[in-house]
Formats: sequence, structure tokens, C-alpha cells
Amino acid sequence: MLDPLPQESWTRRNANHLLQRAGFGGSPDEQEAFYQLGSEQGIEAAVDSLLETSEDWSSVPWPFWAGGETDPNGDDYAGQAVRRRDVTQWYFECLTEGQPLAAKLLKFFADHFAIDSATINQYYRQIGLLRYFETLRRHAAGNVAGEDHPFEGDERLVPDGHYGNFRTLVNHVSWSIAMIRTLDLYVSTANNINENFGRELLELFSFGIGQAYTDLDDEYTEEDVVAAAKAFTGRKIYNFRWGVRNDAANQNPPLPPASVYQNNNQQDNSAKTFYGSSSMPGGGNIVDGDDIIELIFQTDRCPKHLSWKLWRYFASPDPSKELVAALATRMRDTHDYEIRPFLKDIFLSSEFYDESVLNAQIKDAGDYLVCVTKQLGTQLPTRDAVEDIMQQLGYEIYFPPSIAGWPEPDGSGNTWLSTGAMVFRMNMASIWSHHNFNIFTTGRTRNAMAEFEEVDWNTIAPPHLRPVENFPLLLEALLGRMLPNRELRKSQVRTLYDRYSSVSSQLGSLEGVKELVRLILSLPEYQIQ
Amino acid sequence: MKTKLNRRDFVAKSVWGATASLSLPGFLQQTLLNLDARAQSLPSPGGEGPIVLLMELAGGNDTLNTLVPYTNSIYNEARPTLKLGAEHGIINITDKDAPSAAGGVEPLAFHPNLGAFNTLWNDGEMGIINGVSYPNPSLSHFTSFDYWHSAEPNSVVKDGWVGRYLDNQCDGCGATTGIYINRRPTLAFASAEGLSPTVTFANPQYFNWNDQVSLGKEKSLEGLYRNLIGLDHAVDDGISQTDDTLAYVQRAAHSAMISTASVQSAIEQGGTLLNNSWPDNGLSRSLQTIAQLIKGQSETSIYYARQGGYDTHNNQIFDGDPLTGRHFTLLQTLNNSLDAFIQEMKLQGNWDRVLILTFSEFGRKVIQNGSLGTDHGAAESLFVMGGRVNGNQFFGEYPDLAEDARIKNNSLDFNIDFRTVYRSVLEKWMGVPASAMPAIFPSQPVNFDPLDIIKPL
Repeated sequence: MLDPLPQESWTRRNANHLLQRAGFGGSPDEQEAFYQLGSEQGIEAAVDSLLETSEDWSSVPWPFWAGGETDPNGDDYAGQAVRRRDVTQWYFECLTEGQPLAAKLLKFFADHFAIDSATINQYYRQIGLLRYFETLRRHAAGNVAGEDHPFEGDERLVPDGHYGNFRTLVNHVSWSIAMIRTLDLYVSTANNINENFGRELLELFSFGIGQAYTDLDDEYTEEDVVAAAKAFTGRKIYNFRWGVRNDAANQNPPLPPASVYQNNNQQDNSAKTFYGSSSMPGGGNIVDGDDIIELIFQTDRCPKHLSWKLWRYFASPDPSKELVAALATRMRDTHDYEIRPFLKDIFLSSEFYDESVLNAQIKDAGDYLVCVTKQLGTQLPTRDAVEDIMQQLGYEIYFPPSIAGWPEPDGSGNTWLSTGAMVFRMNMASIWSHHNFNIFTTGRTRNAMAEFEEVDWNTIAPPHLRPVENFPLLLEALLGRMLPNRELRKSQVRTLYDRYSSVSSQLGSLEGVKELVRLILSLPEYQIQ
Repeated sequence: MKTKLNRRDFVAKSVWGATASLSLPGFLQQTLLNLDARAQSLPSPGGEGPIVLLMELAGGNDTLNTLVPYTNSIYNEARPTLKLGAEHGIINITDKDAPSAAGGVEPLAFHPNLGAFNTLWNDGEMGIINGVSYPNPSLSHFTSFDYWHSAEPNSVVKDGWVGRYLDNQCDGCGATTGIYINRRPTLAFASAEGLSPTVTFANPQYFNWNDQVSLGKEKSLEGLYRNLIGLDHAVDDGISQTDDTLAYVQRAAHSAMISTASVQSAIEQGGTLLNNSWPDNGLSRSLQTIAQLIKGQSETSIYYARQGGYDTHNNQIFDGDPLTGRHFTLLQTLNNSLDAFIQEMKLQGNWDRVLILTFSEFGRKVIQNGSLGTDHGAAESLFVMGGRVNGNQFFGEYPDLAEDARIKNNSLDFNIDFRTVYRSVLEKWMGVPASAMPAIFPSQPVNFDPLDIIKPL
């Protein structure tokens, strides 16, 4: 299990597969350079080039209002809606402009640790959201140049941030405004336990439930849920409501607005029994939430669940239990939950290049948007257009379908393609090819597509490829860019040719190219990676 | 030529196999198939037959505050701030009390926002099913909903109960026999064969092939797409034999292609709704779409709608006032939207064809938590409504609050398995024979006798 892929198996197909899954693919030049790197310097060098932790996200700063001194929500609902769109745009800019693997991990975390802005509620909603995504994206980027950075979600309670570690990430999430709000920690006190966070910590963030990835390890019990809920009590948000002071104003040192603190008087300090343990491994009672997280991450079940989820996200929907067990050993024992070294093992493994893994994923809505943007060398559509598109595709980053994120009960990706989403995907390609946004929306005057940059058609389809007699070369160039690992059926090629020659002769070859791009983006084949 | 493709034809012609008309010239063949596919989208004449609307309340509805046991001392003790009483305007069910699992009866009242429910009850058009859940109930939203959707509690979930019903009983059905108004699909519709004739879309406006105004003479994309996905091709059906993921997407594209025409035709035929007073919210918009499809005589027999937000761990009420807060708003939305829908059905003359079943993944705990909310529980009450529903009746027994709150981990115990409710709907309303039940419900509860939820004719 997890033996490295032999060097002789490094093909363009495998290189493209890795480039697509560890990121969002690449232009034809990038594909070729990546393949050559692996050929000349070895597969590990190619994988290492994807793992470089150089990302500091400085190219994608927070929206300007995030640092302001006034209520960031704006004065009215309309203002809040604008802020929400700003957050959406910021998120997709992170995905598009960030280091590809970091962006891919950010997208994973945003799903694994989904939050719901409706329950984060009005006050500091946007600040809470942004800080939360900032925490996620730092973990996604890993420790830049090996440095630890202070954790910005809460400066007092969590040790200086070490980013890129799954256990630390869970700890940081448990101290974030967004999660404390979303899963009701802020109202859970020793006298009034609210079990919401305790339950979802176990079910969603760490242990998981069911037998999909293990039948050897015990599931947690309802008693464990209660113990976890008791341990995570007294976590409060200071000065959460704009203009309202609470007792934390008297904390020493004084806390900045919207920071998290532990109210010791509201914490349950009793000794707990959790998942079969009545004390910490080094001795001492099990008392607070940090203890619970430490215990969870020492179990066999937790790394299996997390390995399983990461494999499903990066590789294929149904890893065997044996593979999951091998991955879990790497995750916990070899890498102590450091995420990038673990992913390196995945990307080097021959299992990752198995036929059952290649092309086995449906692009989720984020993959689709980022891939098409990168492949066409363009920018994201306008802020409002992105929000509208994502609403129709069912991927509103701050409104997950449930707090389990965007679940995939039938295997990876299938739930992305409701009939309606399929129709929308086939239609919406003309947003990129023809700037044709208006037909996808009504009553939106903000979506002036003039600010959305035109695709550089001379790069995508150089003029010498455009004469109808050069159609095979043109199609090859376009497919190499958009569907590198695919062959189309003869009947599809025939339809594309007929359409290209017809539109070209009526409206000129540039319109023919646009039409061709639109149709390729509409293919079922394009929905897969 | 047949004027209507049945499901077997749909499968044979569109998804799996080549057509029978191989000898025809290509263009003619394509035209015929186009006509055929259009023809099958025409609604069945008269818009006859029973309709089910599955009304999913997602998040875990607190039925203790929906159907209030207002005289029960345990309720009043367990919910010092959340409890509802006469001072809040609860609507007492005066004509009869619910049988109680504790023996005797339990007087019940509707939440003050459920006036339309009360009217239905009084009109004999609503039945109440108390104490519904399943053995070893899961307190996880996701697992419990998986169980409700698959109707296979405590087992690995692979397909949905509606999907199995259609696989088993719906050979003659068109491609839009089940419609879910939502952005994401439901497991309930999933079919092991992958061929369940169901569709899921949120907004009918976008469920169409949009004209490309910039593209010159040919404006419709539909024909092009049909070609590209192999829908009309004589030999190459466009479904990959070797690549499961691709085949899945290709089938989704075929299904989308076929069902859009059907939906658009019904929406167009439906035209303007007769009730001109609908509340403005997402659920109402979903129900308006459904009402339009029914009016347009869509061939659909199972509609599915969803209202989220019932996970009321906090702020179920706002400070000190049970007539505020999240649950208050949710029930108001539910009541008003369903009421508008029912008025529309009556105006259309379709109310006798419709059965509405509300359900949630679980009820909530008896004792409130410290955040003006309630945590995940088990048994709940279901509402079944319709012109022909055997209304003004209680089914099942109201759970024993004293026993459940104090002894059984604070969650209500069940006495009706939800699979029995599903069976009742299929057998008593949809006319599915009892002999089909083992195929539709491979794992059956101990007591699986259908409830008499439909009035005898």
C-alpha cells in the first residue's frame, strides 16, 4: 500500500491528473512544463513543486471595510448584501489567485468546517466570516517559510499559530467567532449545556460515524457527546454586538472587539470520561475542550475518517478500508497530522494514479469556476455574477445546505448535478464565451459585463488555426487546453465541426471559435476531472 | 408513431439503447425522435391521478411546540420559558384528545401560527400521526435524514424509497414523475438503477435552454445539445460503457434534456395561478412552482419541497416571548405557504387529488436547553393533509412525556414507524399493491400495517 508510483509510469496523462487534482489544472504550457519537470528531475520533484508553501495570500487582501472602525455590516440590509458578495468574491479570488494546492485545501476546509452566516447573525457577521476564512486559508497555505504566525482568531487563548496541521486547525476552529456562533458554543455554559458543537465536533470534524471507512473502531456514544459538550463551555465572544459592552471589557489585558475569551465562571470544570478514557495520557483529568481534541486525535478512528475524507476529495469516492487504514497510519503516526507531508504521500502513491481514480470526479461548482477561469486565462466574472452563478449551482459559501457542508452521499460529486444544475452548467458556458450573462438573471442591473475582461482569443485560438480546413488542429488546441485527458466521440466531433463551419461562414471565424469554446464547456465530459 | 413515450421507451430509446428506426434516413429519424420526445412531454389528458407532496422540514422540527400538550405538567416543567399556553393564543383541539402512550388521552393544541392547520383539522382534511420515528433513532441530522430518505434505518444507505417505488411500480411513467424543487437532489429520489424518472431544479426560469441572441439565425441550443450528448444518435447513444462517472453525467444530461421540455410545457400551460395571494418566501415560491405544474397537468405524481431552518438549538424563541423567534417564524411561513397552496388547489379543483405529508428528520428533546432552544430528539408528529384524507383523526399515540423526559434520555419514544406511514401513502393513496412492499421496503418494521389515512369512498 502507498508505494510510490514508478518513474516509468510518469506519463502526460498522469501528470495532468496530478495537476488537475492537486490544483485546477494548467494551461497547455504549464501542463508541458510540469510533465517535463517530473521526467527530468523525477516525480518527487514535480510533487514538491506543488507543495511549496510560499503562499502568503498577500495578493488577495481582505476587503477594505474589514479593517475599519465602524460597523462593517453597513447601515442597512442592502449594505449587508453587498458585504456578503464581497466575501464571496474574496473567497473565489483566493481560489483563483492563490497557490493551487492551498486554494484546493481552502475549498476542502470550507466544506469540512462549514459555517452558516445566517446563524452567525448580524453583528460582526462579516468580520467573523472573514476571520474564519482567514484561519482556514492560513492552514491551507501551511507555514510559510516554516514560520509560525500568531493566530488571529483569538490572540489570548490559543498558542501562537502553527498552521497546516489538522489537529491545530480543529483547535483554531473551536476558538473562532464563526464556529462559536454557528454551533451555539457562545451560549453553552456549565449550568446550561448546549450540545450542538460537541456533537458536530465528533460527527463532522473528527471521528465521523458509520462503517464506510472502518469497522474496527468504536463509534462515540451519546455519553461522549455530553462529555464533549460539557468540556466546551464558557467560550464567549467579547463585544460581539456593535456598541454593546459586556463583562470582558474588564479583562486584563483588554481585548480587542470581537475576540473570543474563556469565561471561567461558566466553564464546567468537572473531570470527564471520554471515549473510554478517564484521564489524559500523561495523567491528569479530562477537563476542557482542548483536552477533548487532544484525546480525539490520538484515537484510531479520527485519522481514518480524516484520511477517508481527504482521499475522497483529492482522489476517488470509494477507497478500500485497507487503503484508509494505511493512510491513517501515515497521517497520525508518520506525520502527526501535518497536512502537506500527508498529501505528498498521496500524490506520490501508485494508488492515486489507478484507473479507478483518473477521471472519477465530477467537478464541484468551485472547481468548475476556477478551472474555466484559468483555462481561458481570464478573470472571475463580476462580483454579482459570481454570487448569482453560485446560487444556481448550489454553492453559496456562507449558506451550506447543512452544517455538514456539501454532502456527497452517492459518491464524490454526484450531488453536484441536480437536473437543474446540469441544465444551468450547460447553459452558462456562454458567460465566458459570449459575455452572455443577462439571460441567467433577471432584475439585476449590477451585472454589467463590461467590467469582465474578454478572453484573449488570439491566445486561445491563434488565427492560423481558424480556417475551416484547419479545424482538426483548432479542436486539438482547444481540447488540449480544456479537456486534456479526454477524447471525444466521432459524432461529437462531427457536430462541433458542422457548427463551427456554419457559424464561421455566417458570422466570421472569431464567432465560430467562441461557439466552439461554449460547446466544449457544455459537454458532459467537461464536468468531470 | 406513439404519441407518448412511456418510461420503458424512455429508457430504451434515450438512455440505454439504439432506436428501432435504424432504417430511416438520418434526418428523418432525428425529426421523428424529436417529435417523439416532444410528444412524451405532453401531459396526460385531464391531469388525473393522485398526487403526493412530500413536505420536508429540515433541521428537526420541535413538534412539542408545534402540537402542544398544554395540560401536561411535564411539558410545562420541562419548558419553563419555551412553553406555549392559552396566554399565547394556542389553538386548542377541542373536539377530541389524542390517545396517549401513557394510557388515557393527551389534550393538544396547535401553535398559534397554525390557524390553517386547525381549519383543515376541523374540516376533516387533516390527520395527525403522533409518535413517529424508528428503532435506535440517530441524533445526527445527516444520518437520520439518510434513514428517512432511504427508509432503511440503521443500514448502509444506497438508494431512496421514492426511487425504489418508481423503479418497482412506474414502468409507464414519464421522465418527470418525481419533481423536487430544490438546488440539490434528495437521496429519497435516488434509484439503484440510476434511472429514477425524477428531476430536481430550483427555478423553472433557468430550467430551460436559453436562446443565444448573439448567435445568428439558429437560436435554440436544444438541438445542438441533443446532438452533442448523443441523445438522437442512431448508433452511438452517448453513454459511456467504460467510465461510470462519465456515464452518470451523460445520463444526467439526457434526463435534463428530456425533462426540461416536459416542465416548460406544463409551466406554460399552467399559466397564471388562480390564488393571487401568496406569501413572499422561498417555500411559497417552491409551492407556487408546484401549483403551476399541477395546473399545467404535468405528469408528475410525486412532488417534494423543503423548508430548512428547524435546527433550533438557540433562539427558538427570543428573550422571554414565545411569540417571537425562529420557530415562530418557521411555522408562520409553513402555515401561510401551505394555506396559499391549498387554496390554489381548491380553486383548481385539484384538492381531492393531493395528499401532503410533512416530516422532519427527528423531533427535539423534551427539556429545553439553556439557550432558549432545544437539542436533537427522536419521535415527532406528522401531519397528513388533503381533500380525501381521513381527517380529524389521530393516528398513533402521543408519547409519554413523563417516561421519556425522565427516564429515556429526554427524547420522545415512537410507536409508529415512519416506514408504515410511507407504506400507507403508497398503498392507500397511490394504489400500490401490498405485494410490492417487500421490494420497496426491504427492511420492514415490526408493525407494518398501513394506517387508514384516506377516507373510504
